[in-house]
Amino acid sequence: MDDLIQDLTRGNVTEVKVVLASIVAVLAVYQVLLMAVGYGKLRLPFLKPKAASFAHRSIGDTIALITLLVAFMCWGYFEFSDGIEHALPGEEGRVLLHVIAGTALVGVLIFKIIVVRWWRSLGRFLPFLGLTVLGLFMLTWFSSAADYLWGG
Amino acid sequence: MSDGEPARPIQLLGSILVAVAIVAITIALVTAKIGPDVYTRERAEELQDQIEERQELLEERRESREELLEERNENN
Repeated sequence: MDDLIQDLTRGNVTEVKVVLASIVAVLAVYQVLLMAVGYGKLRLPFLKPKAASFAHRSIGDTIALITLLVAFMCWGYFEFSDGIEHALPGEEGRVLLHVIAGTALVGVLIFKIIVVRWWRSLGRFLPFLGLTVLGLFMLTWFSSAADYLWGG
Repeated sequence: MSDGEPARPIQLLGSILVAVAIVAITIALVTAKIGPDVYTRERAEELQDQIEERQELLEERRESREELLEERNENN
């Protein structure tokens, strides 16, 4: 599994993860703005709620795929226990937070998609689920990619 | 959630294009921050090592030449 991921990323596993994670984190913010328009909370003359909702669904499917790809790379290459075990001194807390937030993110995102597509009776919880997904994206990104980019 | 109006294709397309632009800008900013990839970095280090070896070799040759000149001067 390690070799496959190394080959796919040409040896730049962390760098590819950082780029992809940054993309989905920024798009997550955009997604919230789209649904603010979709729910009528934000009124824009050039974007109607239905178009915003459709765009949210289309972009959301892409974000979900990229997120699962990043999760696969993370779990497959760094693994849960290995990542925490081999963290640098003083970094164990940050790595643990990243593992928990990242895993929760995948779970909540999948649950949200299930609610949207099949479990519509829980539709009233979608705004809460969406904001939770955003929060988990930010937490996961800050605990890894942001640290890599600015933490040294 | 929706106001009963049909989705406008051009608005949908515009929203998606904005997302594409966001992706492009993010990639540009993050890759600029990360720097060259691992192969480029390794190649740059190899080249640096080669330059240092060459400089050491030139230094050794210069020292040998100077020693030889000194010996000749002493003999003369």
